[in-house]
Amino acid sequence: MIRFLAALAVRAGLLLVVLAAVYAAADALPGDPVRLAMGPTASPADVEARRESLGLDRPLPARFADWLSGLVQGDLGTTVRGQPINDLLGDRLASTLLLTGLTFAFVLVVALAWAALWSARPRGRFGRTSAVGTSILVATPEFVLGTLLVLVFALVLGLLPATTVVGADGRLATPLMLVLPVLALGLPHAAWQTRVNRAAIAEAAAMPHVEQARLDGVPERRVVTRHVLPLAAPTIAASLATMVGTLLAGAVVVETLFNYPGAGQLVAGSLESRDTTLLVSLTALCGLVVVAALVIADAIRLWALRGRR
Amino acid sequence: MVAASRRVLLGSSLAAATVTAVAACGGTDDEGGAGGAPREGGTLRVGALGSVEALTKDPHGLLSNNSDFLIMSLVYDALTVPGGGTGVAPRLAESWSVADDAKTWTFTIAEGASFHDGTPVIAADVVASMKRIIVDMDAAFKVPVPPEQITALDDRTVQMVTEDPNSQLPLLLRLVTFTTREGADATAFNGTGPFKLEDYTDGNARLVRFDGWHGPRPLLDAIEVTRFESTDAMMNALQGGQIDLATTAGAVSARLAEESGAFTVHRRPNDAALPIVMRVADGPFADVRVRTAMRLIADRDALVQQALSGYGTVANDVLGTGDAFYDTSLPQRAQDLDTARSLLAEAGFDLDATYTLYTIDEAFGEVAAATLFAEQAAKAGVTIEVVEQDAGTFYDQTWCKADLYTMFWGTNDSVAFYAQKVLQSSSETNETGWASEDFDRAYGDLLAATDPAAQEDASHRMQRLEYDESGYLLWGMADGIDLHTPAVNGLSTAPGFGWVLLEGAWLAS
Repeated sequence: MIRFLAALAVRAGLLLVVLAAVYAAADALPGDPVRLAMGPTASPADVEARRESLGLDRPLPARFADWLSGLVQGDLGTTVRGQPINDLLGDRLASTLLLTGLTFAFVLVVALAWAALWSARPRGRFGRTSAVGTSILVATPEFVLGTLLVLVFALVLGLLPATTVVGADGRLATPLMLVLPVLALGLPHAAWQTRVNRAAIAEAAAMPHVEQARLDGVPERRVVTRHVLPLAAPTIAASLATMVGTLLAGAVVVETLFNYPGAGQLVAGSLESRDTTLLVSLTALCGLVVVAALVIADAIRLWALRGRR
Repeated sequence: MVAASRRVLLGSSLAAATVTAVAACGGTDDEGGAGGAPREGGTLRVGALGSVEALTKDPHGLLSNNSDFLIMSLVYDALTVPGGGTGVAPRLAESWSVADDAKTWTFTIAEGASFHDGTPVIAADVVASMKRIIVDMDAAFKVPVPPEQITALDDRTVQMVTEDPNSQLPLLLRLVTFTTREGADATAFNGTGPFKLEDYTDGNARLVRFDGWHGPRPLLDAIEVTRFESTDAMMNALQGGQIDLATTAGAVSARLAEESGAFTVHRRPNDAALPIVMRVADGPFADVRVRTAMRLIADRDALVQQALSGYGTVANDVLGTGDAFYDTSLPQRAQDLDTARSLLAEAGFDLDATYTLYTIDEAFGEVAAATLFAEQAAKAGVTIEVVEQDAGTFYDQTWCKADLYTMFWGTNDSVAFYAQKVLQSSSETNETGWASEDFDRAYGDLLAATDPAAQEDASHRMQRLEYDESGYLLWGMADGIDLHTPAVNGLSTAPGFGWVLLEGAWLAS
């Protein structure tokens, strides 16, 4: 438990360092967010006046401290355009978590089932097809896969909507609009995770005591559930946890492609518009999600290794 | 970030391939939609670009998103809008006049104008809105009148007194002075425009016809605006039948739609200027002979055909090509490499040096034009290296500072607009450091002139000086491009922001 809490403290401290570094780095980029927001028609005097009313003329440590104390109180401040960041992020973060959460579940199920089938007959036709198939999928960027999916399922077959349209109540017009984004984001990750699972299972299955259990006549199902899976679990959990980060990164691309109303679109936008406060707020929230995933993976590893030390 | 933009770029070419692959049949009709007599009724579903971080519900805020600007233009009335022979058409103001001093303007509010909640519009509402833009929103650049000089003379008359003579005020106020009720929440979408808001989510809106509008009754029952983060997503929605009209879709989409024949291409000339800007104040282009040589190096036809994919027209180094007083008698410049070479030699221009042309991917064709111009310059012995920058770096380090760069401007029906922003010597955003007393005088004459003949004379003097001496190489003008299904009719061709004027649109059955 102490080991777990220590790891948690380290991860939280690391997040704080990352946030400070992101804030300083974004601020150091050449470019004036106020000029970018107001456009070339604004006079330098108007730009200066707006910078002052936003408090952007203050030194960097003061602005970061201000933002940090707001974060603790649950107020992320305003964008360069004067919009409250809480409003901007509220629904969007939920949308992104829905998309990445569904994708995560999809990856978890597909990769486990796929790896199990593959491990059962590694040299069969299925195994050989899987080896090639996962390689191709892993190497396919989300936007290529997404575009192909749109082409086939939306434009040619007309089975699924090509883009996301939000209804008047702020919800997706139909849940079918989630299918293609989840596939575009999930398939490359599922392929990667399948390979990780397959390797972890193969490694665990080759351990001497697993071999021994088989020779002792322990039923195959029991060998898998009691000996192989617990050994493979830490590797699988760690890989899934690190995948949370790449899923969020992939969401930036997929959300833009499908016009999905998530937070991913904000990330690219905030960097382009040099909106440091918005960027660091997004980093903080994504960072919290990633840290939470890593902490869960830590817990699974400690549980799987219980009594084995 | 580099990787991300490469991805987006690859993504767009892939999506482009999708368009050709899918739309294989159907006839095209270049001019308008299915036609017939204008028909009442129906809901027009419009796609417009807009990024989430720039969203705003405030009509007096920074309207950087096309989608926001479209919604505001339909829900609210500005005093004036683009259109008509002079480029200025009445909207909330039914008429205006100026005193002989060319400074004291009066605008009369349209008879019967009322807010969507039923309250009549009074002059005090207009005054309060304009003051809010100037003072509360730090946007004095939008309304060139001191706030204390904006007053209500009576319920229907607003007076504005400019500091210096300004004959161009009604033009400068087009689509700027959206009017909200004095003292009420300005973000409540209680406008006076042809359509009223029924639903709003996240930059998407459903608007229904406002039957109490003071202008001609719109034919559409409703307009639904869907916001898209990227042109690719918007084109997919058009292909998939989720929208009827894709606004400002760009030349690549137009070329593909034209090849497929399934959609109609709506072209709005004089939409975007993409000049090559040369520094006049100092540096290698300070000699006017060098600037003239550069202008003679440009193969304008090739630039329009290749960089703009043919969706544009050749221009003649004068900004504001859609101006009512645009001078067509100035000889059209064309490529003349021999003269260019001898001018460069005369000026002692260093042909061994490499000159950097900074560019930015802000408008379609901008980077391509820079690259193509560099190739053309090589034929005259001038070595140009093209460097692409992102917007943050560009506006910080290059704009108004560098010796040679490309720029994008979206208001092109006024010579005076450019004079005020970038050409007069006193402008703080003078992009070239050009300081011409003759030009300043001609511009002053234009602002002080109240009769059209004198205005035209002053404008022509300005244009001649710009043509001969300024730092601009304006090789062409990009068309604005909207794509739509054949059923959509009645779209405006007004330059600049005419694409937001959808109150005249109708749907064929």
